[in-house]
Amino acid sequence: MSGASIPIRTVFSARRVRGTGSKALLFTLECALGVLSVVLLGAFAHWLQWLLPIAVLLFLLIVVPTALLCGFWQAVIVSLSAVLVQSFFTAHQASFNPAADPANSITLLAFVFTALVVSRLSARVTEHAREAESWGGQMRDLYEFTRRTLQMNLHDEPGAQLAELVHEIFALEAVVVFDADLHQTYQAGFWDSDPKELAQNIYYFETSDDDAEAGIGRRVVRLGTVPIGSLVVRGDTSPLTNNAIASLIAITFDRYRAFANESRIETERRTEQLRATVLDSLAHAYKTPLTAIRAASTGLGEMGRLSPAQAELVSLIDEQTGLLSELTTRLLTTARLDAGEVTVHAVPVGVGSLIDEVVASLRDRLASMKVSIELPEDSLVLSCDRQLMTMLLSQYIDNACKYSIFGTTITVRAERAKSEVIFSVHSFGPVVPMADRERIFDRYYRSTNSSNRSAGTGIGLSVAKRVAVVHGGYVWVTSGEDEGTTFYAAIPAPIRKKESR
Amino acid sequence: MNQPAIRVLVVDDEAAIRRALRPPLVELGFHVTEASRGEEALQLLHAGSFDVVLLDINMPGIGGIETLRRIRAFAPRLPVLMVTVREGEEEKVEALEQGADDYVTKPFSIRELIARIRTAHRRVHAPARAEDAPIEIGEIRLTPTRRSVTKRGQIVHLTRKEFDILHCLMSRAGRVVTYAKLLTAVWGADCREEVEYLRTFVRQLRKKIEDDPSSPIYLLTDVYVGYRFADAQMLQEESLAAEVVSEREEETSERAAS
Repeated sequence: MSGASIPIRTVFSARRVRGTGSKALLFTLECALGVLSVVLLGAFAHWLQWLLPIAVLLFLLIVVPTALLCGFWQAVIVSLSAVLVQSFFTAHQASFNPAADPANSITLLAFVFTALVVSRLSARVTEHAREAESWGGQMRDLYEFTRRTLQMNLHDEPGAQLAELVHEIFALEAVVVFDADLHQTYQAGFWDSDPKELAQNIYYFETSDDDAEAGIGRRVVRLGTVPIGSLVVRGDTSPLTNNAIASLIAITFDRYRAFANESRIETERRTEQLRATVLDSLAHAYKTPLTAIRAASTGLGEMGRLSPAQAELVSLIDEQTGLLSELTTRLLTTARLDAGEVTVHAVPVGVGSLIDEVVASLRDRLASMKVSIELPEDSLVLSCDRQLMTMLLSQYIDNACKYSIFGTTITVRAERAKSEVIFSVHSFGPVVPMADRERIFDRYYRSTNSSNRSAGTGIGLSVAKRVAVVHGGYVWVTSGEDEGTTFYAAIPAPIRKKESR
Repeated sequence: MNQPAIRVLVVDDEAAIRRALRPPLVELGFHVTEASRGEEALQLLHAGSFDVVLLDINMPGIGGIETLRRIRAFAPRLPVLMVTVREGEEEKVEALEQGADDYVTKPFSIRELIARIRTAHRRVHAPARAEDAPIEIGEIRLTPTRRSVTKRGQIVHLTRKEFDILHCLMSRAGRVVTYAKLLTAVWGADCREEVEYLRTFVRQLRKKIEDDPSSPIYLLTDVYVGYRFADAQMLQEESLAAEVVSEREEETSERAAS
């Protein structure tokens, strides 16, 4: 920083030594020039005799500009020379003792006084100008800092970049920035000792101050009133600049958090979307070959003329194609459910018709099963998303179908319990081990008991759980050798008067 | 069957599906012509005559729905069966609203496909039935003039709306009737969104006409699309399938016993 108005620390640099030398030279030059002009003017006045009485006034013409342009001491020397020249020409003798001639003394005094006043005034104006220039410089630096922080790469942690920027732009000796959120300190420039603790203490004790002696500024970086880090600088700055830097750092930290958060959410969303799209197109791509296989195998069966063994094989192909088709359909539904934010389009749904429809849609799978529907309250109405609830019940019934012992009955039940409607699907099959009863609802989790005996993707029950959760409900399972296995889903249903139309 | 062979136009962009369909259809006495695009199908339809069109919805080019729309412009009564995937409920409803006769869902069985083709073909060639002639399907008989319904000769008491729903479905037996169409026919166009309302009525209706309301054989649901009243052919197949199942069950229990 070129013109720091309030130097906090004086650094005796080589440049300053050189500056002092040239200043002395300049001082001598200015004095010599002033004295020369005084002597020339005196000689000129003496030559034109009539000018002599007002020569004193003319000397002022030299003293005043000297005071204005060069300074007080130069003006004093010029004044002294003017008094000498004046007394030399008026009395034809150079008096080294101003007291010998009172008139000379008074002239000298007037000259010195004029020099003092003029030089003070001039110095003040110059000082103001320098100050203004220095402020301008600081503003320029702050502006540059703001611009650079706005252009900063927010993909990386901002602390290191900020420390470097402050160090570079404000030409400081050393900088340290502490990011409380990431619990990291970043330093730039040279520190005698490790400034980590210093920066962290400022954050913990929330002390902002300026130590002019040591040339150190300490700032707590706050967002609003909340401390989010700290800043320590060593070098030529002003407290106001330090405040501004701290504020800019706070804003950058905040922008980084927002950006990081946003990009994390965006990445997650994209990954999910990509996965869903891949699954979607895969499932669609499977449909064509499946259709061709099914048409071919059922076509063979319809055309007849097959031996019993051939017919058996053809029906096996058909059956397995059906399974594969079910699987792709389920993948597709799951992909859709995962693809985005699931929104619940709640409408009043007749629980009875819902269950009927689900059972009807699973007719092919349930052909060889006995299904009983229990509905204590026949006209039970629940406000829910029909499509999602269909998925939940389909998963439960399908699951029961897959694991139940042949010939046993699957019972689908729905009843009101206080402010919930509880759906349950009961079947007799292998007991779900206690350890699996929570995890069975996790995606891709398959019970160790079941992995080698039945087809499944391990996706189904996680979908059921998801559906219940988006409705504000929950799922659980009970299982025992004698009582069989029952999957439950409780969906909140505020009690209200029955609607009738 | 000593009727002339039914001429089927199969429109599907997938060669594998056309290849799989041709042999069994030909073997079972259909005339099969193939087209791989909607545009090609329209040309063939203009050039020759067909009894039934099997039209895939998802095709490159103008696609199935637009092809259907153009077919309907010059052949309003030509039976058109759409081929869809299970997830395409909206497409199914749209196709039905655009005048498709029915749809089959991929992957379908040849038996199902042939049944649908025959039903569609039969409907067109059936002698015109008087609007208020009694309808008898299976054990259910509906007499529009007296607004009465009997099952095995026993009177079934229906409310006015239940009767209207049943009448609407039975007069279109074998075909799917979309929710919107059914609601409009019974309650008027203002109510075409009230599907849940309709479901409640259908449920009551099933209790009155079905032996086992939880696995209906007459009043069937086409999930997300609408309802369908089984026709004689479907009932026959249903009872056949039921026999097969019970046979299988007997076999298994015998095996288990031994």
